[in-house]
Amino acid sequence: MKLQKLTQMGLASAVALFVASGANAETLRFRLGEDPESLYNVETNSLTANTVIASYLLERLVYFDKNGDAKPWLAESWELNEAQTEITFKLRNGITFHDGEPFNADAVVYHFNTILAPESASPHLASMGPLTSIEALDDLTVKFTFSEPYAPFFNELAGATGGFNSPKAVEAAGSGYGRAPVGTGPYMIDQWIPGTEIKFVRNDNYHEQFRGDAVNKGAPHAEEILLSVISEDGVAQAALEAGELSASMLLSDTIAQFMDHPDFNTVIDETATNLMFLEFNHQKAPFDDVNMRKAIGYAIDRESALAAAWDGFGTAALGPLALGIPGFDGEVAAKYGTPYDPEKAKAILDDLGWVDSDGDGIRDKDGKPAEFLIKGYAGYAHSSRTLQVIQANLAQIGINVTLETADWGAFYPSLLDDGWDMDLMRWTARDAGILGELFRSPGHRQKLPANAPLDDLLTRCNSTVDPAARNECVSEAQRMLLENVTIVPIMSNWTVIATQGNVKDYTIDRMGYLIPGDVRIED
Amino acid sequence: MANYVIRRLLMIIPIIFGILFLTFLIKALIPTDAVSALFSGTVSEDKAAEAIAQIREKYHLDLPWYRQFGIYVWDVMHLDLGESVRTRQPVIDEIGFRYVNTLILAFSALIVAIVVGLVTGMLSAYFKNTWIDVTSMSVGMMGISMPAFFLGFVLIFIFSVQLRWLPVIGRGDFQSLILPALTLGFIEAAALSRVTRSSMLDVLSREYIRTARAKGMSESYILFRHALPNAFLSILTMIGLQIGNLLGGAFIIEVIFGWHGIGELAVKAIQWRDFTITQAVILVSAGTYVFVNLIVDLLYTWVDPRISYEE
Repeated sequence: MKLQKLTQMGLASAVALFVASGANAETLRFRLGEDPESLYNVETNSLTANTVIASYLLERLVYFDKNGDAKPWLAESWELNEAQTEITFKLRNGITFHDGEPFNADAVVYHFNTILAPESASPHLASMGPLTSIEALDDLTVKFTFSEPYAPFFNELAGATGGFNSPKAVEAAGSGYGRAPVGTGPYMIDQWIPGTEIKFVRNDNYHEQFRGDAVNKGAPHAEEILLSVISEDGVAQAALEAGELSASMLLSDTIAQFMDHPDFNTVIDETATNLMFLEFNHQKAPFDDVNMRKAIGYAIDRESALAAAWDGFGTAALGPLALGIPGFDGEVAAKYGTPYDPEKAKAILDDLGWVDSDGDGIRDKDGKPAEFLIKGYAGYAHSSRTLQVIQANLAQIGINVTLETADWGAFYPSLLDDGWDMDLMRWTARDAGILGELFRSPGHRQKLPANAPLDDLLTRCNSTVDPAARNECVSEAQRMLLENVTIVPIMSNWTVIATQGNVKDYTIDRMGYLIPGDVRIED
Repeated sequence: MANYVIRRLLMIIPIIFGILFLTFLIKALIPTDAVSALFSGTVSEDKAAEAIAQIREKYHLDLPWYRQFGIYVWDVMHLDLGESVRTRQPVIDEIGFRYVNTLILAFSALIVAIVVGLVTGMLSAYFKNTWIDVTSMSVGMMGISMPAFFLGFVLIFIFSVQLRWLPVIGRGDFQSLILPALTLGFIEAAALSRVTRSSMLDVLSREYIRTARAKGMSESYILFRHALPNAFLSILTMIGLQIGNLLGGAFIIEVIFGWHGIGELAVKAIQWRDFTITQAVILVSAGTYVFVNLIVDLLYTWVDPRISYEE
């Protein structure tokens, strides 16, 4: 009798278990690689937090369309003054935050003033550039004033940094705001179990979707979105296979298993904004010589590196700007780049006097063997595999390199010291301003000699606000960087995502954010 | 006994102080300054300099080390573990629920380990050199040799992907607890089973067991009243060590099963260079270890009254 009752209870709870885990068609389940530290865009700047903030919660004045052109979103229009130091935005009327507060010029002013205030210690402070003041001209008009023209600002406006929070909610929540953000976006935060999951519910009072690149102009399709923290790729794979995730970003190693699978779709975003490249210590011989750097450039087999590091899910790069960043010039890259040509590399080395005089397979010059140190960051397969390819490539032309890797936190500062010849670097950026930040002398690691024409050009690119004129400037900068072989570009990797077969319209925008209102589950 | 307990408790004070000092040193030993880590995303740091100065002041990084240590001890005594560098939330909030998760997982795994370990160990000893012994010891050997992540993925594949009985994604509920508790429990059970077997074998060969059998006592009475209590001392030592292990957090198990405990937090905090969290995790784990050791020591005197710490 007792046993029977226990069995019944067991069955009942087993049934409850199945009901509980049964997938709700109205819930989208996505993966988060790590728990965001905060969802307040003033105080955070991590990739994870930015993606969550910008995809679901907060909307911006502008967005970038597929061509990388800024288009109005919460702004209706904008105009520049003659000197290009003032941008005046006209805001759309009738937009409200999740808490019912109106979105207006005061909310815009509040947001940017908070970033500028030193006590906020905002990591976005530096990216505000020469922004000096923001003022509300009337309820729906706001003016940004700069001490000099600042082109990268539109990128900040379109990214997570430029998303607006309800000022009333920020003030009310104090330091807890990062856990309970209030925006104007298609989804509202419902629950955040730290380290575990974040649940969003549909904003049923959602105004119209003003983005031209969105398919669905009304309220979003799915009632709920559940983001689960899954740090291991293997676990995400199992969760997809078990039907517990609607979609997940995966490593290229894992995505291959979903490529031809009938139950899954894959979304591959090829507009990469990242670039992996080899840098030189320009202050140390022999890499102070442009021809030496050029020889290295010709020696690198980018396709092999791409296959090793990302299973081919990427684009081999010849230009110094990632292909997804507006201003990237593929023609300049093809014309002035150093494509894989080991014979050419060897010929250059011969001309420079680096020959193998003692027959040990390693070139030497003035009694010094061609032995160099390449530094890299540890902990990522893509980095260690690329380093190995580079090592093999250079061995092929008679150069012996030693690899030294360390955790990013130790590696990056160590480049300020002198004991290295080359390093493997990777940056992700959304604006061509990155070229100036990295390569305007003395450069981000203090090793670049002054180069007045290039330095002036990079400065001019940042203060040219007109997009077409700016692109011309950025093209010119790419040409000069290639002629100078400041770096050896290697590759950009793509974002790869697997979704369940019935998940439709999973679209990543130009900034790399999901357009969540479009995503639907097909019955 | 009371004397011993008091002395044992007093001994904890210098230990705790030592732990505090070592955790304090963590801040000094972290290779990069945690403040610049906060700004590692920004390239041009001239504008961020003012913000950096603000943060240095906030975390007292501008004071000499002994004053920093004084402030640290004072704060910990007031249960103020500071604010996470990364999330800017109180450390207590970050660590509290994870510690509870670790406790839940550790004790669930321990129950699995004790039940499986004791039963198989006793059966193996009792049926020495039969198929029961050989089977359970071979399975035990596999348990000891198998890496936790492998067993974990095998269980996920069978129960979550194929059968779909249990979730892959941990949500902190009972269903999510089953697989990690079993994985961790089996691995700990394997070691416990071997210890139980050998100490039971030792006890079962003693003369008083033979005497008990000669008196015609039932086998179960002999096993549970005579043999087990005498074998229990070494088993208890083993369990004590295992509790310490389990409470330190099982990083791999926690990551694979999405069970968010302090093991996972410890590793992430180091990656994030979040020194306040790192300090707190080590402080809490070390404190737990000290506490568990104390309990085990006290249990010895209860299990075996012959052990006396009175001088």
